[in-house]
Amino acid sequence: MTALAMDLSSAGLPPSALPDDATVLAQVAIIADGPLRNAAREIDEGHYPLEIMTALGGTGALGAHLRHNGGRLGLAIAAMQTASRACGSTGFLMWAHDVCGLYLEGSDNPALSSSLLETHSAGLTFGGTALSNPVKAVAGIEDFLLRARRVPGGYIVTGALPWVSHIASGQYFGGMAGVPKADGGFSHAILFFMRCDDRIALRPCPRFSGMEGTSTWSVRFDEVFVPDAEVIADPAQLLLGRIREAFILLQTGMAMGIIEGSINDMRDVEGQLGHVNRFLSDRPDELTGELAELRTRIMRLAETPEDGSTDYMVDVLDARCQASDLCLRASQSALLHQGARGYLHAAAPQRRVREAHFAAIVTPAIKHLRWEMARLLRDEVPA
Amino acid sequence: MSTAWRQYICRACGLIYDEELGDPDSGLAPGTRFEDIPDDWECPLCGVTKADFEPYARCAHAQAPEQVIVAQRTPGIVIIGAGTAGWNAAEALRALDGDVPITMITRCAGDVYNKPELSVALTRKSTPDTLRRETGSAKAARLGVRLFPQTFAIGIDPVRRRLRTTRGTIDYTHLVLAQGAKPALPPSLPADLCWRINDLDSWAQFHNRIAAAPRRIAIVGAGMIGCELAEDFARAGHAVTLLDIQAEPLGGLLPGAAASRLAVGLSDLGVRFLGKTAVAATRRMAEAIMIDTSDGGAIEADLVVAATGLVTDTRLARSAGLVFDRGIAVDAATLETSAPGIFALGDCISIDGQPCRFIEPIAIQADAIARAIVTGAHGGYHHQPPVIRLKTKSTPIVLHGAPQPNLPWRTVEKGDRLVMEQWIEGACVSRLTA
Repeated sequence: MTALAMDLSSAGLPPSALPDDATVLAQVAIIADGPLRNAAREIDEGHYPLEIMTALGGTGALGAHLRHNGGRLGLAIAAMQTASRACGSTGFLMWAHDVCGLYLEGSDNPALSSSLLETHSAGLTFGGTALSNPVKAVAGIEDFLLRARRVPGGYIVTGALPWVSHIASGQYFGGMAGVPKADGGFSHAILFFMRCDDRIALRPCPRFSGMEGTSTWSVRFDEVFVPDAEVIADPAQLLLGRIREAFILLQTGMAMGIIEGSINDMRDVEGQLGHVNRFLSDRPDELTGELAELRTRIMRLAETPEDGSTDYMVDVLDARCQASDLCLRASQSALLHQGARGYLHAAAPQRRVREAHFAAIVTPAIKHLRWEMARLLRDEVPA
Repeated sequence: MSTAWRQYICRACGLIYDEELGDPDSGLAPGTRFEDIPDDWECPLCGVTKADFEPYARCAHAQAPEQVIVAQRTPGIVIIGAGTAGWNAAEALRALDGDVPITMITRCAGDVYNKPELSVALTRKSTPDTLRRETGSAKAARLGVRLFPQTFAIGIDPVRRRLRTTRGTIDYTHLVLAQGAKPALPPSLPADLCWRINDLDSWAQFHNRIAAAPRRIAIVGAGMIGCELAEDFARAGHAVTLLDIQAEPLGGLLPGAAASRLAVGLSDLGVRFLGKTAVAATRRMAEAIMIDTSDGGAIEADLVVAATGLVTDTRLARSAGLVFDRGIAVDAATLETSAPGIFALGDCISIDGQPCRFIEPIAIQADAIARAIVTGAHGGYHHQPPVIRLKTKSTPIVLHGAPQPNLPWRTVEKGDRLVMEQWIEGACVSRLTA
């Protein structure tokens, strides 16, 4: 438990102002199965759905996992699943937003951890995470793209990140930069808060195959000063080590929603095509059973994100990896189940296949997850 | 003559700038040298600038060349582990069925060696190359087995008969767990300071560290492996300290008279034995490792070896919901676990709550499993306590039967040779010769 969490509990604050889980999920379902479902194609092609995010924030879904709301990680994942069954892009925005909330919560600066966190978790202000490269850097897969140099009162950050989602002018994100050593390599990394103002340049990314409404930009840091007050963790590992399980588990909400949506696509055509679709593998009942089992495991893991053991971490990576695999199978099968109508450009299975591909390649991608599991399971030998 | 064309990679998105081709779209003619590109030039894919490019050297493949693993659509038998138990199972299965697809998943290279030789290897002047009898890939080819080396089994779905691994998910008809046992490390013996010698890889790395000169080696745990290693290291000229919480080496297993003989034998070889000594902490001190003992003493060594016993890793059993009782519980006759279609053998199993971590029963277990899988016949395995031979040449000890910790020993012969027995209700249950 951090100093902040202890402060709150010892201050005797009310445990939660958030409605119970069932109410939150019911409200999220109304949004998902109504306006979000109708907007899904438009979002896939480029609409950045901040109005939906505000509505989701109003239900409490964007702050459920935070400590002052009872740390209901399972609820945050379930809410993301519900939204993602309508639109994977929105599920991804919720993930980025939720993780940004974890950074803000981890800051010692009350301007971030209190006032901004409040508007953030209510879906009134927005921010994402630029953690794709740092997660790979910490795992030893690639180098840090941002470099930070200590100066009086803060750090100077330089470098560029190719794609950062859920940001726009006036929004913000949590970033990580390596602090280089004199002899090459990095002594450690810092995690910092960054507002998208004129200190950094946002440039459009090349067109992606889908998920265009996630407001994803290339971000350039040219000697940007980050004051100490906006350094969230130094070294970054202090916070990262505490939130990495939640960071990865939350992504399973997006994946499970894509699977659920794919199963729904199959069931939609069962009346007309069931007689011939029964010759396909990965049928809806089969996938429903697999999803239910996986979901049970994920929800159990979500109860103890502070576990800290290697075995637990491997279980988390395994569940995330399996969710990606199942996403790919389910979306592919949804397309086969719908046949020609699923091959129409505007058909839901077309979008879900791209969403599933995204869930499988976004950091940590399937290959990164396997790399990390192998790294964790290898025997440690004295140096 | 001009230097060869070079290539530079964008650290952000992986785009490669090839000097020979240039980037005509952004005005860089073919043949534009990297140093001649203006600083404000942007990556045509992701928009970062020239400063984020670095010279591109083709990624050298991981240490071992990657093996081509032929995809196989027919699910067959999957064996987890390529130690003695895994290879025995593969051989027994192949002997009964020349066609059934067999896949082996192993965290190491799957190289074939005889594990008991590791604890006498220095005396025999063995090297990793002489210990290795055949490479895993050669043996796999010979047996017609698909081998996934350096691959970790992560989880089992026993209902759908699927195994998740770090190389993807594999369907199986039958699963054979031959995962072995791993060293049990108490918190006072951290993995980054203490060696464990439990397979050829770890022995080879340890060997590499001690081959050049005599070293001070502290071995924690004077069980069978600890005693055998102590003798082997001492014979090879290293200064060996052997610690145990028991008063004498192998004190938990042997009667006092036999343990004393062993202690004398080890002492004659120069092994310093510290009995009744528990480790409180292990720490690095400059180039050395310090062991703090619970009685306030300290032992300085160049290397520390933990020989504190073995345990079965629970991950796979837990993921499949298998009954686990100090090991993966198996039926004493069929070696089937609590899940249909999943068998287990070797160091990872327990029969009636008793693990049995010896080489001798493994071939018989493998044969029983192979017959059960291939013919559907009852395996018919009868577990018998194996003969235990302690490979300490200074005091060779042989144990027959099942020694009982709290049963008194009768001395049958005492002289050059010591013979002792344990009896229950008129029957000899164990016999020891030292």
